[in-house]
Amino acid sequence: MTVVERGNLVGVAVDRVDGPLKAAGAARYPSDFMPDDLAHAVLVQSTIAAGRIRRIETGPARAAPGVLTVITHENTPRLGRGPDPVFAPPPPLQDDRILHHGQHIAVVVAETPEEATAAARLVEVDYERTEPLLDLDDPRAEQVHDPGARDLSRGNARRALASAQVLIDVTYSTAAETNNPMGLFTTVATWDGDALTVHDSTQWPVFVRATLAAAFGVPQDGIRVLAPFVGGAFGSGLRVWPHVVLAALAARQVDRPVKLVLNRAQMFTSVGYRPPTVQRLRIGATHTGELVALEHEGVEPVAMEDDYAESLTTASALLYACPDVSARLRQVRLNVACPTWMRGPGEGPGVHALECALDELADRIGVDPLDLRLRNYSEVNPQTGKPWTTNALRECYERGAERFGWSRRNPEPRSTRDGRMLVGYGMASAFYHYVQNPCQVRATLFGDGSAYVRSAATDIGTGTYTVMTQVAAEVLGLPVDRVRFDLGDTEMPPATRQGGSGLTAALGSAVHNACRELVRSVLDLVRDDAHSALRGCGPDDVSVDDGRIIRTDDPSRGETFAEILARRGLAELTADGSSERREDLDGEPGVFSAKFAEVHVDPDLGVVRVVRVVAAVDGARILNEKTATSQIIGGTVGGIGMALLERTESDPGTGRIANATFGDYLVPVCADVPHVDVVFVGERDAANPIGVKGIAEIAIVGVAPAIANAVFHATGRRIRSLPITLEKLL
Amino acid sequence: MRSFDYSRATAVGEAVATVAADPAAAFLAGGTTQVDLMKDGVLAPARLVDITRLPLRYVHHGQDAVHVGALTSMEELAADPVVAQRLPVMREALLLGASVQLRNMATMGGNLLQRTRCRYFRDLTCPCNKREPGTGCAALQGVHRMHAVLGTSEHCIATHASDVAVALVALDAVVHVQGPEGERAIPLTDFYLLPREEPNRENVLRHGELITSIEVPLLPANARSVYLKVRDRTSYEFALSSAAVALVVRDGVIREARVGLGGVATVPWRAGGAEDVLRGARAGAEVFQSAAQAAVQGAIPHRDNAFKIELAKRTVVRALQTVSDKAS
Repeated sequence: MTVVERGNLVGVAVDRVDGPLKAAGAARYPSDFMPDDLAHAVLVQSTIAAGRIRRIETGPARAAPGVLTVITHENTPRLGRGPDPVFAPPPPLQDDRILHHGQHIAVVVAETPEEATAAARLVEVDYERTEPLLDLDDPRAEQVHDPGARDLSRGNARRALASAQVLIDVTYSTAAETNNPMGLFTTVATWDGDALTVHDSTQWPVFVRATLAAAFGVPQDGIRVLAPFVGGAFGSGLRVWPHVVLAALAARQVDRPVKLVLNRAQMFTSVGYRPPTVQRLRIGATHTGELVALEHEGVEPVAMEDDYAESLTTASALLYACPDVSARLRQVRLNVACPTWMRGPGEGPGVHALECALDELADRIGVDPLDLRLRNYSEVNPQTGKPWTTNALRECYERGAERFGWSRRNPEPRSTRDGRMLVGYGMASAFYHYVQNPCQVRATLFGDGSAYVRSAATDIGTGTYTVMTQVAAEVLGLPVDRVRFDLGDTEMPPATRQGGSGLTAALGSAVHNACRELVRSVLDLVRDDAHSALRGCGPDDVSVDDGRIIRTDDPSRGETFAEILARRGLAELTADGSSERREDLDGEPGVFSAKFAEVHVDPDLGVVRVVRVVAAVDGARILNEKTATSQIIGGTVGGIGMALLERTESDPGTGRIANATFGDYLVPVCADVPHVDVVFVGERDAANPIGVKGIAEIAIVGVAPAIANAVFHATGRRIRSLPITLEKLL
Repeated sequence: MRSFDYSRATAVGEAVATVAADPAAAFLAGGTTQVDLMKDGVLAPARLVDITRLPLRYVHHGQDAVHVGALTSMEELAADPVVAQRLPVMREALLLGASVQLRNMATMGGNLLQRTRCRYFRDLTCPCNKREPGTGCAALQGVHRMHAVLGTSEHCIATHASDVAVALVALDAVVHVQGPEGERAIPLTDFYLLPREEPNRENVLRHGELITSIEVPLLPANARSVYLKVRDRTSYEFALSSAAVALVVRDGVIREARVGLGGVATVPWRAGGAEDVLRGARAGAEVFQSAAQAAVQGAIPHRDNAFKIELAKRTVVRALQTVSDKAS
């Protein structure tokens, strides 16, 4: 079948198909849904980090104007836990124990959000406090080794380090960060008997359905979860957090539709965050910079009775040729909310430590940082010895360095100035593991020759609507405006989660397969049709152009979808497609990038400003250059935040989040974001039929270390903790 | 739900009388701080008297001063040509002090009375002597990188957030007030109260007194001035440290000096000691250093904000260098 190869729709800068809807304010986000007779729920959260509730007084709140009910652990039924504990936290309000500051301890339901908010302040709690565990180095805390079984090792790193000519032994720390999507997470729940309709801020509607079914012991097929538009998530919408269950519980208890909107402060305590990390890197090398040993030990907090695992150190075993490697993660159970995935989870902070440590090695032995990477370049996956399906990291280095002007870099730190400002150039490699999970799609062709394709996926702002429309249009040989792609409804075929940069490959492949199946179904209609020019043709014998199927062997012969359906008296024709990760590949897929940053540092005041970034990305085939470039720019902004600004702070001793507002938790503003030069390199990847790798995570990985290394180059000061705030440079 | 009475005043005397008569009443102008604090439950006035229609929105140009009506917006004042020419330090402080959206809403009188950004003040679950006298200060042991090193007490280390007020204390501005007992004029340097025993009392205004105008003496025509604001991000952020500096330099000698500090003190900070060092001295790196040292005299660091002492000094030095470069 040649249609997929033609590709004139793919790779071009198609405008977002949902752009006009969003610009007009007509796209409906979860909080826009207002069922009749709606009541409003507001959460009450614990103000201690550890202990139990001795008494919770809800009388004054219940007596407050407009209040319908107050739900606490004392009147909450047993709730089931969702089917996969990785994505379903323990259900809320099941006992009187407090495990972290900001834990939900009550839900106030009232006629209006204002009444519920006011009444929530009237709930009085008498706590029995115990001393919380809040510090990573608290000897009383339980240790979790190798969470998620992601540790990697080869050879004997410890022994090889002992005999290395050059040894770098450094400890880096990164700050806790909060995902902070613009859209406040919202759940609107409406029961009808045991049937439940939910609008939710989620990255995975079908798992919300499964979790709510388990929570309330009702059948899944009576539950419908909708998320046509989600106001961002950056990973925080991958789990079905307790507030989602509580919204449905509240609706059940008051027997009315209920809306629950987290406020901004609750977005810091209720939907996860990027855990802070402490990472020790020991790198052994020769005097000329060949890596001989690498040991990367990461430590981060996890919740007392909930789990989260991430690939913090694994890239250290995968990015470079090095014979002896040990990459490990240890978690410490503390009285903290459970961390979660935040854009570039694992590799984001992990590659930061690795790439800064390598920059230290380069400086120590007097080798250009880019040369150091090239000297240790691995053509294969160095852990398995198997080839990569595709790997254009070398081209990322070359193209990135060329566009950046890396060769102009004076190797001497603190050697370059622009007026008063110290100028620094820094670079870093980046890697993200390839993710693809099973996914299903349904595609329908109508008698007018238009198509409708759908799946219960989400578009959290990434451009899924647009690129899936493009993929479908390409396979069906239709202009994009003849294809409608829809998502965000569990009545549609089940889709995997939008996370780990894995949705485009999974969903795109399923769209591809469904549309290809649809073409096959059309050809089946005329297989024995003596009147058809396409009689006897299979999908590989034809191409489709503007709704007309054409014989490859004789392009003058063919007919349109509409003609075929009309002749058969069909108003529409539907086909299903699915996708899953290929297990038969010769190589292993992985996503690669190189990042280059220039910073200016005020030598007296310590103020760091990023003045330009070059991001060279091997995302394999790029479906839409415009939305893909936006993805990379957005991730770069996140990386600037990670490097210079973002830090979720907790009060010593109490664990209360101390900066849970947009005024106190700083993300870059437009004036902090320089020109970001994005270049895509690489080729189609064989991992999936549409040839993509997924680029959301790789967009942020490597940005912070490129900036940190540039700060070193500018100042000669090695700042080993993020964010690099000005006092560290005074 | 907490309800409150709202009325719109049509005359200054009426507004003053209404608020003065009700201990739980407050004036409402731009509301850019006040409404936030009401939403968070930090402020709970039973009555709001909206003063935005009072005839207090003007910039009058006198021989030696500009007279700024209290309801003049920050943006309007920044756009004034005399301000641009004769009071650049104030104009820069206005422009660096807030986004254009806020500058259009926020009034000059309200700016002087804006409340601290201290998170503990704004979170009802935390003890705060400013919000609830006698409950303690959570910031002392909490996260206080942004907090003050000058003018603190063991009861409060909250930073005053205004930028333009820093320029105004350096400029010897005078606040004109009307109250139930008549009018009075208060030098801005006497207006703010340090958080000694009563951090909840932030200024000398009595209940019902309304700021009607701010008188800002013009700088000498040959003065050079600058407002330098150092912060974590380029915009939408308060100062870690700022300096309002004005110098008159003739024949290499500093004849007149004004230094105000922001972001590091519990009130807009007039650094009189620094001015004493500068006045009469020859402009140069050494005297700027000495002045900076004098400016932070008496600073008290806490766990996370000790850097502010050094940063404030460097901010002062940079600001002095900048105006002295301009002058030469």
